[in-house]
Amino acid sequence: MLKTILAAFDGSDQSRKAFEFAVEVATKFGAKMVVVGVIQLPEPAVSIEIDAMLDRGKTHFAEEFAALAKKLEPLGIAVEWRTAVGHPAEQIVREAEDCHADLIVMGRRGLTRATRWILGSVSERVLRYAHCPVTVVTVVK
Amino acid sequence: MTETWFLAAVWVGLALLAVLIAIKLRISTALTEIVVGTVAQLVFAATIGTAFLGAKQPWIAFLAGAGSIVLTFLAGAELDPVVFRARWKEATAIGLVGFFAPFLGCAAIAHYVLHWPARPAWLAGVALSTTSVAVVYAVMLELGLNKTQFGKAILAACFINDLGTVIALGLIFAPFTVRTLIFVGVSAAVFAILPWLTPRFFQRYSGRVSELEAKYLLLLLFGMGGLATWSGSEAVLPAYMIGMVLAGTVGKDHALVRRLRTLTFGLLTPFYFIRAGSFVSVPALLAAPLTFVVLFFAKSVTKFVGVFPTTKVFRYGKDEAVYTTLLMSTGLTFGTISALFGLSHGIINEAQYSHLVATVIASAVIPTVIANAFFLPRHHLPATLEEEENAPSKPAATADTK
Repeated sequence: MLKTILAAFDGSDQSRKAFEFAVEVATKFGAKMVVVGVIQLPEPAVSIEIDAMLDRGKTHFAEEFAALAKKLEPLGIAVEWRTAVGHPAEQIVREAEDCHADLIVMGRRGLTRATRWILGSVSERVLRYAHCPVTVVTVVK
Repeated sequence: MTETWFLAAVWVGLALLAVLIAIKLRISTALTEIVVGTVAQLVFAATIGTAFLGAKQPWIAFLAGAGSIVLTFLAGAELDPVVFRARWKEATAIGLVGFFAPFLGCAAIAHYVLHWPARPAWLAGVALSTTSVAVVYAVMLELGLNKTQFGKAILAACFINDLGTVIALGLIFAPFTVRTLIFVGVSAAVFAILPWLTPRFFQRYSGRVSELEAKYLLLLLFGMGGLATWSGSEAVLPAYMIGMVLAGTVGKDHALVRRLRTLTFGLLTPFYFIRAGSFVSVPALLAAPLTFVVLFFAKSVTKFVGVFPTTKVFRYGKDEAVYTTLLMSTGLTFGTISALFGLSHGIINEAQYSHLVATVIASAVIPTVIANAFFLPRHHLPATLEEEENAPSKPAATADTK
């Protein structure tokens, strides 16, 4: 029985698809949704960049979440909106543990092999370390 | 003037390139600007001419210097005076040890192992004694520790560490003449008056589109910077102190800090970091790679030796002690400022500068890379689950009896 579904959201097309999928599942199961946006800081961090990115990230997610909340209003789903800071994979797994999520839903960026080697794949890391099932939504172009 | 505009276009173009690389690779813009500066100087020197980039031109040096001054001011203004007053003993102890251990250790290693003369060795000690408040803060944000007293105390310790670096930079190489006394006396008076004067001045005249607050602060920073260099010291010293004394007032004005940040980030710091990178000699690095290795381990080991026992004095748990020690082993901004100061004043040569900057960058990057390689969410899994993963496989019968 799915009681809590965590949807990872960053404003990308993939994350929007993932969000829609999460809404559909939450509606069918009567589950609560926790939507998490992660502000990823540059490395190695410099103070001036951290503050700028935090400001911009919070504003970005506030606007995105407001728009999503409007779409969810008619559906009557209980939703909690969270903004985390750090590495996306770690924060998604952490938030999922924190809210005792039964399912994580997230999008997949479709990185090239080289980029995946340099940057790592968020979805692969979450799949590997999440305590609950993970659904990865891919946008087919 | 035509050449100046074209040269400015080249520098801003390099800054834009650095930003694009930083966005693509999700790394710090400061780091990419340093690397872009290094590569650009290498390419231009090989193709067009060594002096093409014009890093020593007065107007570029001014913009770069202004960038380092305002960056340092903003760094000082991030101090939380309330937390510092509450936990000043452990913040001061850990911060001072975090400074002195690598300062003395790295200077000794530079002198006795690498056979650098005394003054370059002291400069190496200063450059490698820094701790990146930003790196520490970023990790604290990820783990939510920035809201805890423990996290805030560690951040305060980092400020003390960097204060030690800035004071050492400003005073060790100063000639100690009458000018130095005048500088110290005027600085003391300014630092005492500012916390009283600034909020009153802002309250009376602020909130206008003419950016009075920014002009006031720049007047202070440039004026005190000029006095510092006139006395043989370094302009970032008063900038950091002004930031710290105004942390409780200006530092809390997020709108003002945001506007200063736009000015600094958008125009000034690219000139600073690209210029710092342009003085790095890749051939010098390749000619003596072990120098970099020795300096890197000197910084890492001396930080550990200094900070870890001190955390135990304050009864930190083992994990907290190791965590604190590891966090305080990085330092990008003040490290490059110190190294550039040494190069500009003829204290170190180009090869020594290159090794110091490479070490400073490595001390910011390598721990981060290692942390990313090993950080993974399993570090934060409940202990029971981790123990089950590491335990040898058990017969089915015993598993059922759990």
